[in-house]
Amino acid sequence: MRRWLAASAALWRLGIAEAVAYRTSMLVWILTTTFPLVSLALWSEIARSGGPIGAYGAPEFVAYFVGAFLVRQLTASWVVWDLERQIRLGDLNVLLMRPIHPLLHHLMQNLAALPVRLVLAAPLAIAVLIAAGGATWTQDAGALVVLPLALIGGWLLNFAVQASIACLAFWVTRSSAVYEIWAGLFMVLSGYVLPTSLLPGEVATIARALPFHAALGFPTELAVGRLTSVEAATGLAIQWGWAAAAWLGLVWAWRRGVRVYGAYGA
Amino acid sequence: MGRSGARAVLRLIAAQARMSALAALQYRLGFWTEGLLGALWSAIGVIPLLVATSYQETVAGWGPWELMAVTGLFMVFSGIFGALLQPALIESMEHIRRGSLDALLLRPVDALALCLTAAFSPWRLTEAAAGAALLVVALVKVGAAPDLWMIGAALVVIAAGIVGLYALGILALCASFLAMQLQNLTYLFDALLDFARWPSSVFRGPLKALFTFVVPFAVMTTMPAEALLGRLAAVDLGIAVVVAAGLLVIARRCWSASLRRYASAGG
Repeated sequence: MRRWLAASAALWRLGIAEAVAYRTSMLVWILTTTFPLVSLALWSEIARSGGPIGAYGAPEFVAYFVGAFLVRQLTASWVVWDLERQIRLGDLNVLLMRPIHPLLHHLMQNLAALPVRLVLAAPLAIAVLIAAGGATWTQDAGALVVLPLALIGGWLLNFAVQASIACLAFWVTRSSAVYEIWAGLFMVLSGYVLPTSLLPGEVATIARALPFHAALGFPTELAVGRLTSVEAATGLAIQWGWAAAAWLGLVWAWRRGVRVYGAYGA
Repeated sequence: MGRSGARAVLRLIAAQARMSALAALQYRLGFWTEGLLGALWSAIGVIPLLVATSYQETVAGWGPWELMAVTGLFMVFSGIFGALLQPALIESMEHIRRGSLDALLLRPVDALALCLTAAFSPWRLTEAAAGAALLVVALVKVGAAPDLWMIGAALVVIAAGIVGLYALGILALCASFLAMQLQNLTYLFDALLDFARWPSSVFRGPLKALFTFVVPFAVMTTMPAEALLGRLAAVDLGIAVVVAAGLLVIARRCWSASLRRYASAGG
């Protein structure tokens, strides 16, 4: 156990050092996730010119989308690209030789970049908030306690889904194409381009039970104070349920995959 | 560049396009993953607009099928970007990173032309074709009957939009000369293109100016749609042409300056 902790700490330091060294590159990656800020412009303009949409007026849209942008930064993961490439090109060999689990390596690498990512993203979020005239956050003590759990759950879910999809590379050559499907559905169903509660009737009910919403929309709505305590508890249960399922899938895919891994290609 | 030079460039582009097309035909799965899925994801971006029109009749002055026309134009541009520009940029940046750009610079054709035609993903053109079809359907549904003059204006603005797109691509290429860390700029470009999904009238103040003059997404999707619907002011047509020409001049200058500074691998 001590060895494991020491290894994790070392990987954490390595991850931070890498993230700091490639800060310009990371800043560009952060800018590629500004879509919620585009949605902000669209929706607050619609609400301003034609009145509130559902339960959202212009200030509520500002709070929601700045929140979504920040939640997106805090739950970000990119393991699908790295792991898929390592499996496809055979670079995974290097990680398999090490006395720590390759997934732990990726886990710490992704986790360590988050603080750096937040520091780089915060000025942009603050600038938008000032330009839009500020926004309200949840004041509810219960929500503030649940929020860290929701962020951790969202991150664990994203990481496990990406890593599981990357593991498909053990069997097929281009598993990142599968990820494109996930990413496309994520865009519409997660609350990234519009709050899922605005989707029509039954579609909203279904969307809010899916993992896409659990990964982004749920923590965002929690942060901006749009959920009752019952809704928050239900949302957290759904989210951690999906995260657990994704991790089970990941463990299964990894164990089966490593056995068929031929060190080069599928 | 003389006339024979221009002919050499054209022949070269044709040869490179043929080779990329042959390579793409070997991977027919690409038709499904890159072509159809790409078109689907691109079209799916219209959902927020449809949701908005279920709450209000128009979005920033645009009705549902007019918004579909804008989406169709967005798909045309997204397809052109994904098929022609993005692969070429990624390939060229790889050349810059590895220093193999030297081999390109030695060839007796314009280096920029070589870079901009370095690679080609034909399947992504499916998206552009689907976008053109969506545009036609939307115009029929709206009941628009564009005359020759309106179609001409739309074509001029679309051409200006393509020139603007390429100029921005050249600028991204120039940036990758400065810092290897900027090689992911083409993905940023891809993400920024999403701003062109919506009519520029939803943006205000500085954002509106940004998307008209600096990153002319308004020129690419909103203005052609306005032209076809008969709403484009003559002054906007002028702005589109001037902005595209201006960006092209800046991009060409940046390219020359970057090449002068280029010191091969790791330089």
